Amino acid sequence: MTETLTGAQLLCRLLREQGVDVLFGYPGGAIMPFYHALPEFPELRHVLVRHEQAAAHAADGYARASGRPGVCVATSGPGATNLVTGLATAHMDSSPVVAITGQVSRAMIGRDAFQETDIIGITLPITKHSVMVQDISEMAIRVREAFHIATEGRPGPVLIDVPKDVQNQKLEWADRRTGGPAGRDSARQSPACPPARLPDQLAAAARLIAEAERPLLMIGRGVILAGAYAEVRLLAEKTGLPVVTTLLGISAFPESHQLHLGMPGMHGEVHVNRAIQHADLIVGIGLRFDDRVTGNLAGFAPRAKIIHLDLDPSEIGKNVPVAVGLVGDAREVTAQLTAAVAPRSCETWWEEIRGFVSRREEAFRGALSPEAILAGIREVTGGRCTIVSDVGQHQMWVAKLYPYDQPNSHITSGGLGTMGFAVPAAMGVHFARPHQPVWAISGDGGFQMNMQEIATMVQEGVPVKMAIFNNGYLGMVRQWQQFFHGRRYSATPIWSPDYVRLAEAYGVPGYRVESARQVEEAVARANRESGPALVEFVIEQEANVFPMIPPGGSLSEPIEAAPAPAEVAGA
Amino acid sequence: MIPALTTPHTVAVLLDEELISLNRAVGVLRRRNLPFESISVGPTDAPRVSRLTVMLCSDDATVERMVRQLEKTSGVRQAVQFRESDGIAREIALVKVRVRQERYAEFLDTVALFGASVVDEGEEEMIVEVVGAGAFVTALIRALEPFGVLETARSGAIALLRSTAAVAAAEPR
Repeated sequence: MTETLTGAQLLCRLLREQGVDVLFGYPGGAIMPFYHALPEFPELRHVLVRHEQAAAHAADGYARASGRPGVCVATSGPGATNLVTGLATAHMDSSPVVAITGQVSRAMIGRDAFQETDIIGITLPITKHSVMVQDISEMAIRVREAFHIATEGRPGPVLIDVPKDVQNQKLEWADRRTGGPAGRDSARQSPACPPARLPDQLAAAARLIAEAERPLLMIGRGVILAGAYAEVRLLAEKTGLPVVTTLLGISAFPESHQLHLGMPGMHGEVHVNRAIQHADLIVGIGLRFDDRVTGNLAGFAPRAKIIHLDLDPSEIGKNVPVAVGLVGDAREVTAQLTAAVAPRSCETWWEEIRGFVSRREEAFRGALSPEAILAGIREVTGGRCTIVSDVGQHQMWVAKLYPYDQPNSHITSGGLGTMGFAVPAAMGVHFARPHQPVWAISGDGGFQMNMQEIATMVQEGVPVKMAIFNNGYLGMVRQWQQFFHGRRYSATPIWSPDYVRLAEAYGVPGYRVESARQVEEAVARANRESGPALVEFVIEQEANVFPMIPPGGSLSEPIEAAPAPAEVAGA
Repeated sequence: MIPALTTPHTVAVLLDEELISLNRAVGVLRRRNLPFESISVGPTDAPRVSRLTVMLCSDDATVERMVRQLEKTSGVRQAVQFRESDGIAREIALVKVRVRQERYAEFLDTVALFGASVVDEGEEEMIVEVVGAGAFVTALIRALEPFGVLETARSGAIALLRSTAAVAAAEPR
């Protein structure tokens, strides 16, 4: 049996076939046939955002929370270009986002038509794959291929550009799954480390783990992507290795576990970085040894041999020299590694690490500290919520001061560091976890980048709780100016509206918290709301994130206090 | 740090015969600012598969990383690298030369010396075709310069890895 479908109807069918149930999008001229077909598919819930960037971040948030591809839709030209920041964010953090963009009709392409941009050309470096559907006959293969590429191996964003006339083309459609991507990309996968060699490498890795005196386990987002929580935990427990979680590895390992050490890198705790600098072996799983983790590469872990397990062979040896590279799925290979290692403990090493811990007086002044805010959120939610953070000082506080015990309960833009990510991404997280509170925590700078999405939440009934750490500055940049630019606060003081009244204007409850005493009540009230709610936390204006490795510095040289004004006067 | 030893390398890539696949593959080089010496693209014996050959001078580790990046690039079916000395590389060049009557015999001698041939003969302008390794082609162009080289078109090198037997025979160790 066949039926006649338009390209737009077929596209909707294919989205359903791929298991899509929610789309974040914004209509416009070149995507109108798709929006015309959409009401015929009530199983495809459409969320009308207020800016296409938010659609891409929301799709990303959905993907990160669910592990399934998140889908965003935009029109050609400005609609498509507005997706770019969100796609780049997803690309850097290996998030499976599928973007569908309208394009001008084929006859108009290349003629600078109204709202025409070469979105394929623009997105090539920031997607795993970008493709134009040139004819309705290839719609099925292109869409199936896109979803396959977005999710296979190391996930990433994919863009499908559909000319308006292709959306209107008609096709006799027999619902047969033909022309899938099998044999195309799966055949292409040729791991640099053929499986035959894996046993040798596992044996070599096990030997290194057995021989090491100061071994560390460093885990990243790859553990979350593979769902390798139990496997990593077994490996840690069998060997007693201290576990370091990178920014994107946070919540891959329970922080209440006695083997959890903390976050490394630029804002990592001193004892974590000292452990790295003293380690003679680092077992890295699903991380990419990014520069914010390693500091100056020449001085990174000078005594350590590195075992690197990653799904992506191109990551092995990319940033740090590797003694043993293990290519494969973090879950499977970690289980194999655990089977290969001999049980051991690291008591002497743990003793040494405990000696690295120095109590640092948290230098927060004023009536409300980030610690108090995060403790309040933890208390009220019982830790059963997803925390989505933005980018800046609060991101570091949220990473370090909140105890993550639930797998994948911390979501942030790590690689690209996209301000404005938290609020729209949290909307996507809600659709993946509709029965769990989602807290979007932003600074006053990042919040103002995408605060228009409050309207989306109201219209679509998205009960995200928004927390704003308001210090009246673009705080992280201000901190760098204080430390490295002689306190010249150039363009960092930032004015905010009255957030409580802003919330009211959107018809959303808003609370302002100015002292630690008020935290729990405000958080509890917001958390109880059935819809979205906003809490503004007024914190110390010049609070800093400590410790800090200066940019380009080695992990051995942390800054633990703000420079005295005199020290920087001549800088 | 001691600078890594750079040697001439060949990177051979089999990719889908689409401009976008070519764009992506070349984008891997562009993003890393790798100094290529030549790039050539042509069809293969398999339908809808192109072969991209990149000659570049770099250290082994950089080229190896580039190959791994290429391997995961959408549209790339296979990517391999080998040192130029482990393969056979050839390019073709067309050289347009102005030859005055009185030096014609000398010109023909030069062409013959390189095993090249004259493929177009005008009043005073000739087109010479030569095939060989890059250095050989360059040598012919140099040799033709005294006659008056007007224009040169070089294809960029194509290359194949010698069979292991051939490598062993050529370089006994």
